[in-house]
Amino acid sequence: MTEAVNAAPYGRDRRPFLRRLASASEPYLYSAPALILIVTVMLVPLVIGISYAFRDMTLLDPFSGGFIGLDHFRALAKDKTFWQALKNTVYWTGYSVALQFCFGLILALLLDKPFRGRGLAQALCFLPWAVPSFLSGLNWAMLFNPIVGPIPHWLYGLGLMSAPDNLLSSPDHAMWGPIIANVWWGIPFFAITLLAALQSIPRDLYEAAAIDGATPFQRFRSITLPFLAPTIAITVMLRTVWIANFADLIVVMTNGGPADRTQIVASYIFTQAFRRLDFGYASAIAMVLLALLLVYSMLIVLLRQTLLRER
Amino acid sequence: MASIDITDVRKAYGAVKILHGVDLTIQDGEFVVLVGPSGCGKSTLLRMIAGLEDISAGEIKIGGKRVNELDPKDRDIAMVFQSYALYPHMTVAGNMSYSLRLRKTAKEKIAAAISGAAEKLSLTPLMERRPKALSGGQRQRVAMGRAIVRKPKAFLFDEPLSNLDARLREHMRGEIKKLHQDLGATSIYVTHDQIEAMTLADRIVAMNAGVVQQVGSPLDLYDRPANLFVAGFMGSPAMNMFEGTYRATDGAPRIELGQGISVPLAGPAPTAEGTKVTLGIRPEHVLVGRELPGGFEARIDLVEPTGFGTILHASAFGSDVKAFSLERGLAERGDTVHVAFPVERIHVFDTATGARIG
Repeated sequence: MTEAVNAAPYGRDRRPFLRRLASASEPYLYSAPALILIVTVMLVPLVIGISYAFRDMTLLDPFSGGFIGLDHFRALAKDKTFWQALKNTVYWTGYSVALQFCFGLILALLLDKPFRGRGLAQALCFLPWAVPSFLSGLNWAMLFNPIVGPIPHWLYGLGLMSAPDNLLSSPDHAMWGPIIANVWWGIPFFAITLLAALQSIPRDLYEAAAIDGATPFQRFRSITLPFLAPTIAITVMLRTVWIANFADLIVVMTNGGPADRTQIVASYIFTQAFRRLDFGYASAIAMVLLALLLVYSMLIVLLRQTLLRER
Repeated sequence: MASIDITDVRKAYGAVKILHGVDLTIQDGEFVVLVGPSGCGKSTLLRMIAGLEDISAGEIKIGGKRVNELDPKDRDIAMVFQSYALYPHMTVAGNMSYSLRLRKTAKEKIAAAISGAAEKLSLTPLMERRPKALSGGQRQRVAMGRAIVRKPKAFLFDEPLSNLDARLREHMRGEIKKLHQDLGATSIYVTHDQIEAMTLADRIVAMNAGVVQQVGSPLDLYDRPANLFVAGFMGSPAMNMFEGTYRATDGAPRIELGQGISVPLAGPAPTAEGTKVTLGIRPEHVLVGRELPGGFEARIDLVEPTGFGTILHASAFGSDVKAFSLERGLAERGDTVHVAFPVERIHVFDTATGARIG
């Protein structure tokens, strides 16, 4: 390396061609193993997956596999279930993230204040995160089932339901079942990350603000929120992407039903690929979802950078 | 502006007692420095005045009004923190105007107040910067600016200069003193640096282990320390202390230091014959020479030139004696010289109680 650098300024390099080639390719040779590994594990499957979107790939049809151009995307534009699923995805993601964030922030603020037994409370509050999502889906499905679960009876007792029916089989409200399960499961993520951010705020800033005359709410607004903003932006973005792609709870609890009312794009992809075995169409839907989430992430990254620059 | 009255104030965290009953009255416009080693309770006392710590017992009054139960925001005091505690997401102007904005002060008044303070502290060109773009000294000045825009009843300073380098600290010390002379505001200043205490204070409160040791003007504390703690804490290089025995039977009061050396005293001390006492003498008062009447032999172990003067470490009568002299070349390492303790410069303390007895 040093040799190559030193030789460069002195006109024509007189070393034999092979020597020059060896020293020029040296950095690429060193990084080749890592690059080859990354390309084979990440890029190859991605490219093959994307290629499915432009091919007729049906698992049960031995003659499929031919290039069909944008046919899948044309079909998608007219697919009512897809548009419904897209709407459901916004609904599912929006409510899940908003509620997880609100409860997570409240929990983090509570756990930030010292009190007796805080260690135990912290451990308990973070427990749902450790439960496998399938298990929590099954558990909540059971809780909503009027035969074995108590929730329909409580809702009936409170007068919120006219009869103790299964929430998950009501076409108008079925989406709330997975959303509630998801909120329960995802609060700890926000609580942990926001608590970490809260604890990194220097205490004397609060003291200075208290002396300057700020009420607790004013201190929250002018110190806590500005300090949390970058963390909030990045966690909300991450969770939105995850939840938009997160079909486990829906597949386990409602399987997209009743009548596709809880079908989100991710669960629709799963249905197309593994129930209808139409990998080509599923891949086309996945590409649309990918594009939407990319646009969304770019926006959040821009927002975060503006927030950080203001610091 | 207001006076501050502290009456038998105590602080305990559970069983651990931090302050054991502090009584102190600070006059309107006075600059009082709380000084003492780490953990002596001086910062706790300041934070109790600010309202950042609960008062376990006793009473604090600001301007004649009891503030024990008041929130910091209702006490009308301003505080400068050791870490400056500037709001990192606000500009210098934003930091300085925050308290006024919270009070819904009129925009023109805020602008006038912060530009006045900025001018006083030469911050005017920095008003739109954020704290992270400022140097340590500039941050320090912003923290002071934030305090003065409000015209509070009292200023509290919690070791405000300890994060600065030595030169800047000296400079800011001067600025703080000038500012106090300008504003004439009641100020309480906490530090562990006795030079800061000496130079800034109208009155020094020396504290140790949660107890006030002595209250007085800087020169009072320096010239007539009330006990061994104050004597040892104030002054650098520190006062020489030698343990000995008090003798006065033959009408000539003196202290026997061992090895047959005894030092005569100016007058009798209010203590019994044979009491263990400690003789204290400041290094700058120790005389060093080739031949001194009433002096005793000492061997020079170490010579420390400071430029300003010379610190000589000598051994005599089995003890180390430090002497400070403005003269250079007084002695070399290994020289045998005479040292003498002028009788009017000697402090006498009771070794057992630590109290001054002469």
